[in-house]
Amino acid sequence: MAHASVNDVVDKPTAQTQILTTPSIPVSNKASAQALKLSWPEIESRGANQDVYFHAWGGDPQINRYIQWAAKQVKQQYQINLHHVKLTDTSEAVSRVLAEKSANNDHQGQVDLVWINGENFAAMAKHQLLAPNWVTQLPNFGLTDPDNNPAMTRDFGVPTQGMEAPWGKAALTFYYDSIVTSSPPQTLQQLSLWAKQHPGRFTYPKPPDFLATSFLKYALIVLNNSQPEAIKNLLYQPATTQSQALLLPVLWQYLDELHPHLWRKGQHFMSSGMELRRLIGDGELALAFTFSAAEIPAAVARFELPDSSRSYRMQDGSLSNIHFIAIPYNAAHLDSAKLVVNFLLSPQAQAHKQQANIWGDTSVLALSKLTAEQQTWFEPPAQSHPSATIANQAISPALSEPDPSWSKVITKLWLQRYGVMQ
Amino acid sequence: MNTVAKLFNPIVRFSPFMMMALLLIPVLGGLIGVILPAFGWIPALDQTHFSLNGFQQLWQTPGIGHMALLSITTSLISTLLAFLITILILASYFTSPWLGYIQRLLGPILVIPHAAAAIAIGFLITPSGMLSRLVSPWLSGWDAPPDWLYPHDAMGLSIILGVTLKELPFLLLMALGVLAQPDLGQTLRAQHKVALSLGYCPMTAFFKVVLPSLYPHLRLPILAVLAYASASVEIPLILGPNNPPTLAVAIMQWFHDVDLSLRIKASAGAILQIQLTLLVLACWWLLERLVSQFAKPMLTNGEREYGGAIIQKITHVITALMLTIIGLALVGMLLWSFAGFWHFPDALPQQFVMLHWQTALQQMHTPLIDTVLIALCATVLAITLTLLTLEAEQHSGKSLSLLGSVLIYLPLLIPSIAFLFGLVWLLEQINSQHTFINVVLAHLLFVLPYVFLSLASSYRRLDPRFSIVAASLGATKAKIFFRIKLPMLIGPIFIACALGLAISFSQYLPTLLTGGGRINTITTEAVSLANGGSRRISAVYALMQMILPALGFLLAWLLPKMLVKRHQQG
Repeated sequence: MAHASVNDVVDKPTAQTQILTTPSIPVSNKASAQALKLSWPEIESRGANQDVYFHAWGGDPQINRYIQWAAKQVKQQYQINLHHVKLTDTSEAVSRVLAEKSANNDHQGQVDLVWINGENFAAMAKHQLLAPNWVTQLPNFGLTDPDNNPAMTRDFGVPTQGMEAPWGKAALTFYYDSIVTSSPPQTLQQLSLWAKQHPGRFTYPKPPDFLATSFLKYALIVLNNSQPEAIKNLLYQPATTQSQALLLPVLWQYLDELHPHLWRKGQHFMSSGMELRRLIGDGELALAFTFSAAEIPAAVARFELPDSSRSYRMQDGSLSNIHFIAIPYNAAHLDSAKLVVNFLLSPQAQAHKQQANIWGDTSVLALSKLTAEQQTWFEPPAQSHPSATIANQAISPALSEPDPSWSKVITKLWLQRYGVMQ
Repeated sequence: MNTVAKLFNPIVRFSPFMMMALLLIPVLGGLIGVILPAFGWIPALDQTHFSLNGFQQLWQTPGIGHMALLSITTSLISTLLAFLITILILASYFTSPWLGYIQRLLGPILVIPHAAAAIAIGFLITPSGMLSRLVSPWLSGWDAPPDWLYPHDAMGLSIILGVTLKELPFLLLMALGVLAQPDLGQTLRAQHKVALSLGYCPMTAFFKVVLPSLYPHLRLPILAVLAYASASVEIPLILGPNNPPTLAVAIMQWFHDVDLSLRIKASAGAILQIQLTLLVLACWWLLERLVSQFAKPMLTNGEREYGGAIIQKITHVITALMLTIIGLALVGMLLWSFAGFWHFPDALPQQFVMLHWQTALQQMHTPLIDTVLIALCATVLAITLTLLTLEAEQHSGKSLSLLGSVLIYLPLLIPSIAFLFGLVWLLEQINSQHTFINVVLAHLLFVLPYVFLSLASSYRRLDPRFSIVAASLGATKAKIFFRIKLPMLIGPIFIACALGLAISFSQYLPTLLTGGGRINTITTEAVSLANGGSRRISAVYALMQMILPALGFLLAWLLPKMLVKRHQQG
């Protein structure tokens, strides 16, 4: 596929851009140059009193409520009306921006903000669908201490180039019904044995679901742990035929052995990772995993999960990642969107988000950058339900996300191997 | 009134064209918008040369044959089952009051959106669902749910169950609607009586006398059901397998895939879906030919009895079973929506809570308003266009040509998944700021045909003598329309309104695609929750999906009564 430069796409003078530009300078450069020159107070005055359409996955009531709370706050501060456009899949927003680009709608885009993960980020960046170089303008971005914290500017190992701001952190957390199983598996190898002893009581979703690829990446990293460093490091570079041949066979071997003992004997995998929680509540599964540990006690309180639910992290490691917010290149309310992101990065918003009964999503701010009073906001409150305490949290090593190309490769090969019933 | 009278005739003359344009342009435009990408023309991806890559990718998709086959088998079998059960019910209860009772019981099912029906049936048949709880552990010995691959079975049996239960009421009510036409219905009933007096058993009399005249009137509704079933997404998405899914579900996933180059494959898939739907329709036509060839001699062979009693018993069992399944599914949903923790294998939850309703109603505010507003706009438009088009028929003294009737059915016969993606692209070209209007127009495509169908027969059956008398007294056409025809049709108009609202309430794909995710209705939320983590919230949404159309029909039933009363008192 031929790569067009940003200018090829954006430099189609419309009535609007004609007014803004002199013919000699390409629109995009001029526009971004103009945007960069704006001071924060200027952005604040230009961005107030507008609508912001935030396209974010809407499958979790807790997260939806948090976004509603944030909407109230930005309404008070800036008179901004923040609308949460609930997606079932983030790629819907990607499709929308792409459709707008194909219709030459370069300034009146319907998506002002989008909550994305590494794979969608890679796709949007590849097609130049994101506004570049705006994150450093945000006063609160400095609180994440990006100079000493490279994770804040890399998404699945790919440099973000100021196209997206970090929003929260998560790690793969397992949970189980302690009445059905008193000693859940502590490592990936134990998981295989546990599944044999409890046939049909564990499963993982079907790729490309986010939780599915996360589980497979966790397995891929752990299974290759005994390999030499040089080979292990191939996971953090784009996948090649050679590196696949070195790293993937152990994964397929493990899965071939595991599948017959899974829920539905591994002949059917649920499409959405959200269903794992429902199946534990139904008593069909006894062990599941999630990226948002706070949903477990919250779901117990809502009667979705049994009171006997407990959560823990695997001793051989927990896949950890940071999720981000980006602004499409053609957002209609660019300045207002920046104000919203800056608010979401404020100590107040991050502390509120981290509370287990609100969302329980870990803050991305560096505590060292906060005042003593602000630091106290992040201290955990008295625990309510036992499942809010995550066992092994201190001893489970954080496994960083492989290069996004691996998710693609794993998904494709998984679907080839297991995606069609034989 | 004078200006109205002046404008009335031109408006009436113009409205059939307006209606056709509103149906034809989006569908054809949408098809073009999907054909171009299928052959590799997507400027946004810098693809501007025509190629067959999309189709090559499609053939190389693992399981593509499975997908197509699953779509074909599930749609044919479920439509055939729904049709057979409809015929059996009609034949068994043709002369009994039970027909009316069944009609009243199944009527409300008709307006339950597909998504809600799928959610309810899913609650019933999963291994941890209502049926399994009722027999556990005392009969089955299960302390934990069995590990069966059902629903989501590879054969699509759960899809067939869902679609059959959902489409049966539609076909049955269509058939009863035909029989309710005074001329046809009376003739058929009279002929049936004659056959009885000639010693035919009631069952045989129905099959030999009534069915051959009834079937031609059912053909289009059946084809619409078939076309819908071959390309729908809600039921296969919620109940069907995903390894691989049906073709329509796969297409939707490709369109939404992170990998944007899959767009080309998805468009090629949409073309395949159209061919597949045509193939299924052709299969039905072939089946129809075969049956009529095979059965023709039987009509006149004088045989009076084909085991009618046994067939009647079987029908009783099927009908009872169906009503039980529907009843249990509804009860299960109600229970889930109030359930505290509900341990398997308990048949009842440990405690009942209002929490899920409270949570859901808090979130539901905006979607609920949007749902109702869109439905009202689409329905008012549809009713207006329908009435004016039917009036135009009477002005010109010609009823709609065959082509016209087919055009009205067009959005129901062409798989919506095929043209909707193209339509989104088309709307993008025209404007991108009026999401609400886009959604209303997309809903209109599906509301209009049903509203037209529901009103056409009543309008055409209006006794012309009233108009003639009024005209001879000097009333203008406009006056006759507003003062005589509309008041006489108040009942059917309200019913058509309620039907239009119900159809709009249940739209999933059109809302999702043209709304671009900006406009969430109860239905789009219900589908996304169906595969989510909460059975309880999902149950609340599905119940809400049922309550809305039920309210519409309740109003349609009450309002005319009140209006007529006021009129009489006034």
